[in-house]
Amino acid sequence: MTFRSKLFVNFMLALLLSVGLVTACVTVVTRHAFDELNREHTDALVSQFQKEFDRRGHDVLNRVQGIADAEPTVRMAIDLSRPNADISVYVNDARGVAQSHQLNFLDFVGTDGSIISSAEWSARFGYKMEWVTQKEDWATRGSFLMKLDTQEGPALALMAVATVRVGDKDLYVVGGERLGKEFLASLVLPSNMRALLYLNLDPKFEPANLIDSGGPVNEAERFEQVIERERTQPVVQTAKIDWTFDAASAEIFHVIPQLGRQNELLGVLLIGDSQRSVVTLERHILWLAVGVAAIGILFGLMLSWWVAARVTRPVQKLAAGAREVSEGNWNTRVVVRGRDEVGQLAQSFNQMTQQLVDQRERLIQAERVAAWREVARRLAHELKNPLFPLQTTVENLQRASSQNPEQFEEVFRESTGILLSEIENLKAIVGRFSDFAKMPQPELGPVDLNTIVRNVEKLFEAQFSAVGRPPITPELHLAEGLPTIQADATLLRRAVENLILNAMDAMPAGGVLMLRTTNGDGDVHLEVSDTGTGLTPEETERIFTPYYTTKQHGTGLGLAIVQAIVADHGGRISVESETGLGTAFHVELPTRPPHHQAAPVVIEEENEEA
Amino acid sequence: MEIGAIVHSLDPAVAAANPEEAGAKAELDALLYDQHSEDGTFVGTAGSGAFRVSAWEAGKSAVFAANEDYREGRPFVDSIEIQMGRSAHDRMLDLELNKADFAQIPAELARQAADRGVRVSASRPNELLALVFLMGRGATENARVREAIARCINRAAIVNFILQKEGEPAGGLLPQWSSGTAFLFSTEADARSAKEIWAQISPSPKLVLGYDSADALEQSVAERIVVDAKEAGISLVSRAIPASEKANVHGGSESPTPHNEAIHADARLVRLRMASPLPSVSLAAFIDRLGPLAVINGSPLPKSASPEDVYDSERSIINGGSVVPLVWLPQVYGLSARVRDWKQPAAGESWPLADVWLDSTTDAH
Repeated sequence: MTFRSKLFVNFMLALLLSVGLVTACVTVVTRHAFDELNREHTDALVSQFQKEFDRRGHDVLNRVQGIADAEPTVRMAIDLSRPNADISVYVNDARGVAQSHQLNFLDFVGTDGSIISSAEWSARFGYKMEWVTQKEDWATRGSFLMKLDTQEGPALALMAVATVRVGDKDLYVVGGERLGKEFLASLVLPSNMRALLYLNLDPKFEPANLIDSGGPVNEAERFEQVIERERTQPVVQTAKIDWTFDAASAEIFHVIPQLGRQNELLGVLLIGDSQRSVVTLERHILWLAVGVAAIGILFGLMLSWWVAARVTRPVQKLAAGAREVSEGNWNTRVVVRGRDEVGQLAQSFNQMTQQLVDQRERLIQAERVAAWREVARRLAHELKNPLFPLQTTVENLQRASSQNPEQFEEVFRESTGILLSEIENLKAIVGRFSDFAKMPQPELGPVDLNTIVRNVEKLFEAQFSAVGRPPITPELHLAEGLPTIQADATLLRRAVENLILNAMDAMPAGGVLMLRTTNGDGDVHLEVSDTGTGLTPEETERIFTPYYTTKQHGTGLGLAIVQAIVADHGGRISVESETGLGTAFHVELPTRPPHHQAAPVVIEEENEEA
Repeated sequence: MEIGAIVHSLDPAVAAANPEEAGAKAELDALLYDQHSEDGTFVGTAGSGAFRVSAWEAGKSAVFAANEDYREGRPFVDSIEIQMGRSAHDRMLDLELNKADFAQIPAELARQAADRGVRVSASRPNELLALVFLMGRGATENARVREAIARCINRAAIVNFILQKEGEPAGGLLPQWSSGTAFLFSTEADARSAKEIWAQISPSPKLVLGYDSADALEQSVAERIVVDAKEAGISLVSRAIPASEKANVHGGSESPTPHNEAIHADARLVRLRMASPLPSVSLAAFIDRLGPLAVINGSPLPKSASPEDVYDSERSIINGGSVVPLVWLPQVYGLSARVRDWKQPAAGESWPLADVWLDSTTDAH
């Protein structure tokens, strides 16, 4: 992964983390705010409902009191207070009065608790309603919830009692309003809310007793746990019911127990608040946040890419410059504007490469001088050897000419022979120097290294076992399937020859010459080792220096030529040696030599302003 | 001179029929036919009676004109207009507003009518309202069940409150004035023993008491019986029987369909009108009408049976427990102030409209 990619990824991660955190915070804060708002809203509605409930209770009480205060009722009370009063004439009165006062329940009850007239269940006349006659101040009692027996079964009602006293006798007016679907339908609730009422009329939870304004509630079984909890401990509580897997289907119910006169649980009111609008709004906000986050991320993506590119471009140029330097283009320059750390780094890089170039120039100069000195030394050394016989031969000729004219002819003949021989020697020396100087550029073509090694070895087989010298035993370990390489076969053959000659020179007492080829990763290896005298570490360091030789009659160019050939093929050569045990040369040749870029490289920013 | 008579609603089938061809309700037949047989059915030719049909609109109204050739002499009134299908409330209003000279009034409204200034004429109690346990019902075949329900019913409360004291508690199948033995049958409620009997029944059944959906009195009585039963711990509910099923009970010609859930009832309220002041005749008619509904103990009663035989038969039926007499109802009529010579018809007799006349000096219409 590139530095730009890493930087970009880091930017993006930081951006995503930030956006995620902000989104999460917004969501949490929004949800909290909604919950708080919802709670306040519900509290207000529950309070409103309680007020409405109280108002209805007052309304019932007023209507019942109105009936009790009405003249017909007073006349009834007066009539009933008489001895042997005929109560049968009033048996049907309650129904009409109840209808005119819009009461579901109305009973006229005598002083002994006997029902005189019942609106809801007219057939109950004569039976006792004993709870009415219990000592209780009905005038201050107000309205209350009560479980009543009706023809259809038990029912829940909001009741009130008013008393008409005539003498020592009372006429009780017991009236009320049924708490049922009509009552729930009359409640004014927001569209997203509904009121349910559980009529706690049976010993166990009965789904049919849970009603709303439309009648029995669907899936009433879902409320069983809530109702049972309320029956166990009648307190205001909150319950959430998820109707489906969709969170928007959930309803939060505020459960309010409805107690009777004896604090017995008669009903459970459930104010349901649909979460659909809240969830929809939350989702809307969430999607909005996601949309903003997506746009932010997209914008951040582009910004990160631009910033990463801007930050990494000088670094990339520095990397490219370093790569060029590593490939030998020391004259590389990196142009980076700015005075920041990267600019300073680029400046330092340029100074470094400049120094490298300068040092290389100086080194080259020094090496050149050293080489010239070495050449001069070798020339002096090489030329000195033939010059001395030439000098002594000429001096012998002069001496023979002046001192022994009779022998001059013979001396002349011998001397000219020597002169010619030494001149030939001088020409040979000059020729070798000339050959080295004229080292040709390799002409590349497909070459099988094993073939070259095998051919050269055959060429030297006669010399390995030449008479008069200790035998040398060649050993070939050629790798099978060695790939062909792009090389100059002639030069390569010459390099192998030089290595074998060098090995033979290192084994004057005979030994083993091993030639090994191996397949590398993208290159081929050649190892030429001998069991000769070996080299000292100092000799090992200088072994490839031109004109350096450890031999009495060597020119010091053989291994230099090998190194030059290997270098021209893009390969490298190294030597391992241990004194007295032998020497091994390792040659690594690439299957395809690289191109050399000798021209100076200047790496410019493509668009500094970008 | 004409009299406007308003009668209570007729059965649709009767009201829709042509009275000269098929015969109408007994009261109308009495106007059209000259004589009738002992069992109450009219004989002779339509039009031989005191009146002839002048106009007939099925189910709504009829106009009867005086028959000039009537054997016993022309009626005093020239014609009678009869409005059919009027509710009790409307009939009361018609009387109060002098829109009618004559109307039948439900017994339970007699007191109210009188309080409102209506001239009321009530007969002796001649219509029995009884509770009949229907045959073919598993629950009511248990005599203990029938006994428990019979004991819990407070007849006095029905008479005093529902009928507004216009009637009598009934213990037997015949009224005291007819048989002279009605006092031998108990009419007292005994909720305590009813509760004890019911407690011994296991499993205790849930019963349905049917009543005529068009009969307000039956509904009130049924509801009261349900309340009485509830106080005794008996599980009993009331259910209205559609008018179309009324014939099963009142007509006595068809059996109820025991397994028809739409009209399912274990017991029903039945009105039994005395066909004659003679106890044997009325009892025989009752037996004939109850026979298809309930299991009636005893053999068919001849119309000439002695009072002892009548009592034995009546006792046998009551002891069987399938029929529980509740109350005796009178026939109550409202009359306008100008109606003269109105004679309350005896049991089995029809309206004596041919004998009445209108006092023109009295303000009417």
